Amino acid sequence: MIKAALIFNNHGKPRLTKFFTYYTEEMQQQIIRETFLLLSKREDSVCNFLEGGTLIGGSDFRLVYRHYATLYFVFCVDSSESELGILDLIQVFVETLDRCFENVCELDLIFHMDKVHYILQEIVMGGMVVETNQTEILTHIEAQQRIEKQEAGMGGAPARALSAAKSMAPNVNLPKLADLQNISLPSFKKL
Amino acid sequence: MPRTGDSMRGLAVFIADIRNCKSREQEKKRINKELANIRSKFKGDKQLDGYQKKKYVCKLLFIFLLGNDVDFGHMEAVDLLASNKYTEKQIGYLFISVMMHHSNDLYKLVIQAIKNDLSSKDPVHICLALTCIANIGTPEMAEEIGDEVPKILTSPDTLHGVKKCAALCLLRLFELKSDKFIHAELSSRLIALLSDQHLGVVTSACSLIQALVTANTVEYKGCVSLAVSRLSRIVSSTDLKDYMYYFIAAPWLSVKLLRLLQSYGQPTDSAVYERLKESLETILNRATDPPKSKKIQHTNAKNAVLFEAINLIIHYDSDAALMVRSCNLLGGFLNSKETNLRYLALESLTKLAVSDFSRKAVMKHQETVVQALKNERDLSVRQRAVDLLYAMCDRDQAEEIVGELLAYLEKADYSIREELVLKIAILAEKFAQDYKWYVDVVLNLIRIAGDYIADEVWYRVTQIVINRDDIQAYAAKTVFEALQAPTCHENMVKVGAYILGEFGNLIAGDERSGPIVQFKLLHSMFHLCSNQTKYILLSTYIKLINLFPEIKGDIEEVLGNDNQLRNSDAEIQQRAMEYTKLSQIASSDLLATVLEEMPQFTERESSLLAKLKKKSNTLVKERDDGDNTSLQNVELSSAPVDVGGSSLLDLESPSGTAEIPEPALESGTPQDSPVLNNYSAPPAAVAAAPPAPAAEPSLLDMFGGAPPATDPTKVQVVTGLIECNEAAQPNFKAFICSRNNGILFENEIIQIGVKSEFTGFEGKLQVFYGNKSPLPLQGFNTTLFISPKDQPSLRLEGQKVTLLISAGAQIPQTIKATAVAAFGETPLLQISFSAAGTAHTMVLRLPLLVNKFCKGTGMGAQDFFMRWKNLNLPAQECQKVFKASRPMDNDLVKGKVQGFGFQVLEGVDPKPDNLVGAGIIVCEGSQVGCLLRLEPSKPAQMYRMTVRSSREGVPELLVNLLSQDL
Repeated sequence: MIKAALIFNNHGKPRLTKFFTYYTEEMQQQIIRETFLLLSKREDSVCNFLEGGTLIGGSDFRLVYRHYATLYFVFCVDSSESELGILDLIQVFVETLDRCFENVCELDLIFHMDKVHYILQEIVMGGMVVETNQTEILTHIEAQQRIEKQEAGMGGAPARALSAAKSMAPNVNLPKLADLQNISLPSFKKL
Repeated sequence: MPRTGDSMRGLAVFIADIRNCKSREQEKKRINKELANIRSKFKGDKQLDGYQKKKYVCKLLFIFLLGNDVDFGHMEAVDLLASNKYTEKQIGYLFISVMMHHSNDLYKLVIQAIKNDLSSKDPVHICLALTCIANIGTPEMAEEIGDEVPKILTSPDTLHGVKKCAALCLLRLFELKSDKFIHAELSSRLIALLSDQHLGVVTSACSLIQALVTANTVEYKGCVSLAVSRLSRIVSSTDLKDYMYYFIAAPWLSVKLLRLLQSYGQPTDSAVYERLKESLETILNRATDPPKSKKIQHTNAKNAVLFEAINLIIHYDSDAALMVRSCNLLGGFLNSKETNLRYLALESLTKLAVSDFSRKAVMKHQETVVQALKNERDLSVRQRAVDLLYAMCDRDQAEEIVGELLAYLEKADYSIREELVLKIAILAEKFAQDYKWYVDVVLNLIRIAGDYIADEVWYRVTQIVINRDDIQAYAAKTVFEALQAPTCHENMVKVGAYILGEFGNLIAGDERSGPIVQFKLLHSMFHLCSNQTKYILLSTYIKLINLFPEIKGDIEEVLGNDNQLRNSDAEIQQRAMEYTKLSQIASSDLLATVLEEMPQFTERESSLLAKLKKKSNTLVKERDDGDNTSLQNVELSSAPVDVGGSSLLDLESPSGTAEIPEPALESGTPQDSPVLNNYSAPPAAVAAAPPAPAAEPSLLDMFGGAPPATDPTKVQVVTGLIECNEAAQPNFKAFICSRNNGILFENEIIQIGVKSEFTGFEGKLQVFYGNKSPLPLQGFNTTLFISPKDQPSLRLEGQKVTLLISAGAQIPQTIKATAVAAFGETPLLQISFSAAGTAHTMVLRLPLLVNKFCKGTGMGAQDFFMRWKNLNLPAQECQKVFKASRPMDNDLVKGKVQGFGFQVLEGVDPKPDNLVGAGIIVCEGSQVGCLLRLEPSKPAQMYRMTVRSSREGVPELLVNLLSQDL
């Protein structure tokens, strides 16, 4: 069983955390830190699995990971999983992300955390591999996106109205949008 | 595409803000501001629409990801579940599965939402619900929704996308409430999923069945043949369309199927096994094929399947050819450029090394493995190499492998040193042909990695030296030399102190290691050592006084020094004080008795193995079945044998203190540190007092304690002879027939009574000691003696009694006896104590007689005579003619015979006076039938008694016993 799937960057900042066994929030953060400490010391030439840290269950568990550019993808698994199999699964996950985001980079994961979760969900469910066939995974994701577009078409009016309004107001500096919290949206709705 | 959509600009802006934060504080501030904002939005009067809720929930998820507590928003997430928009539902489920714990009050609402979605017509909604259960299922869900999921899974109309989710969902529910999902009808339908057309469904079903199999192996046995045929189809196919992963057909599913097959033994159906074997062979063959792609993913996937196939071959452990082939393939991987492969190959070889089929094939790679130990850059790979060397080590290779491991120890990572030390110590002990070598290895261990020596390691070496006469002198010499090194680890001092204290005399002939040199050498370390070591050293000094009376003066000076006598540590004070007194007061004979050489150690399981097992992984477990060989069997023939469990070696607690309950000493020191009885130092140091001084009550008086029995709760059981004054027990005969309870012994000081019960081959005796004197009985101690002849036939186990019986008090002692075979002598109970300054020792016979285990049995005359005639060998009969010691009353005699254990058979012998009986002596594992004829001759006042029995020797025993009481 896969106990957890973690993605964090070279500085240990989490980009995705998904635990398939319940841990308290506090514990989750500790596990992430511990895992990062274990992995960040390792050179790239060493092997891709190691015994899990004490927090997640010690030597009965293995951390299987891959390091891509700025990101670590780590799966914590128990002894029922094949290490090489999980390594390939990480590869499938990353390739799928790459297809969905067209050359995925850390920023994509940051800004589309929900999407990353949905993609993972197509591959791992309840700690078990659910699908490994990339074509099938992509079909599912695309289907989801179609639904999303449809729904945005129906209910996305306010959002689009807002963005339209923003583009009509040239003196509004977009990055400072957070300061504009007091704009009263209902007046736009009437448009 | 996600990147182009501007669906949640607010979220993007927030994230950008966070990323622009220069410091942790700034970030914290920004997050708190956002949290406050979201909170006010949620609490505000304005109704939020689905989009807004979605956006805020997403922000909360992000905040949570950054490691911040989010304690609200759950209600909004639950609201989203009820939305009819897929995206809103989706984010709601995501929030719940990432952030919500099932103790939350809202859980009922979640379950309701899941229920609704499960009954939805839209498959994507059903999938969301199933996924949610699979991720965060709870027992309540299993209860409320449990019936739905199997229906969805097995319905022919369900889409395969939904089926996949349903299978994993059911797996989760099964783990939560297994009893709900075990029934035959369901199992056959689930097994059938292995033949599903869609490989994704088969993959999930495989995980599900794997879990079910562990709970119910028999019912799911049918999955074996289906799994084999599925595997065979995958392995033989070259094109599985979408399920080809870098030219490998469905690697994950193959791995899963191979894992599933490992839940069962080798298929008994030969057709199935042939098919499986074919697949396994194909997989092995492909390993050496040229790669179809240069991509690492290709070889990875190929090897994932290969390793799992090898695991299955190891699991079956039956086909030598396949196992040897696997070994050779793995051996090839040892030189691979891929670290992962080297790691896994070492791991698999470790498993193969344990099997007889492949052991030799593994040995061929020893050289490479040793190289790996030397050159491998990755610590975890080196560790696997250590495991493998440990697993493949045998008698022939031991010296070389241990040598390599020792060399590795010098540069090994600190984190694995302790385990490595244990492994080396175990191998050296297990495969030692020459114990000098063993001593050298362990001393080397201490030299190289003194800090990582678990106490067990040095206890063990002292025990082995004590148990083996032939290496004692060598050990003393070696340790003496080791102590001369300029730097010397404290553990070396401990071993040195102990061994020189015991065997220093063996090297004292050489003037370079003469008595005073030894003492000075040891004492030069004294001030550098911890208190624990100082205790041992002090004990060594008193032992040296015994070994070398000529240096008594020097030692007394040290013992009597204020540094010791006024040390801040009470234990040091006490030892110094008491040893000084002992040295001054005791005669040399007495000293020699007190400080006699340690008796040999007995042992059940090596404490080292126990320690290693606790410390480390599965690999060890596979080795230890055969590990009770060699040294552990250095059996200890003579001397006291402690009964019932933990010897000194089984020390779990680090301090290893044997807690002997006893009163405080006269000196008024705390209960936990009486010298000579109860050392808080490591147990090996308990040595100072030998466990056989029952004959020295005066000495016991002096220390007010009993000799240390090795097991604190059990009395000593000694195999040996001791004289017993039979006149002390004039009434003992009464115990032979009938009586089980009564007074065993009585004088003006003590009354000893006994109560006994016998069931089957087990007997329980309760001995009561009553103090009749007006003064307390001190130093009360009991020892059981079994005649050497009976040692294998009778097992005794006695509970320890308190050291002190106050005036007028009575204390009980329970003794358990097990008859292994018919035994001849009565076990003896030695009791020693001192009363009013006088020592008393007495030896009593225990009413534990072989006939107590005899059970009467009935039979007819014909049966009796037939059996009687069959027992016609001379050794099977014993006859005795003897004079009656009591009135020859028929009923009385009959009562006696019955009380003895025979059933009197009526109407067998035509003469009314004659008496015939039959009985069975019940022993552990055997039963001995016995027949009796007793012919009284009243005029002559004589009896003729004949006993026949199937077991040699038994007739004599019974005749001798019974004749005493007639």
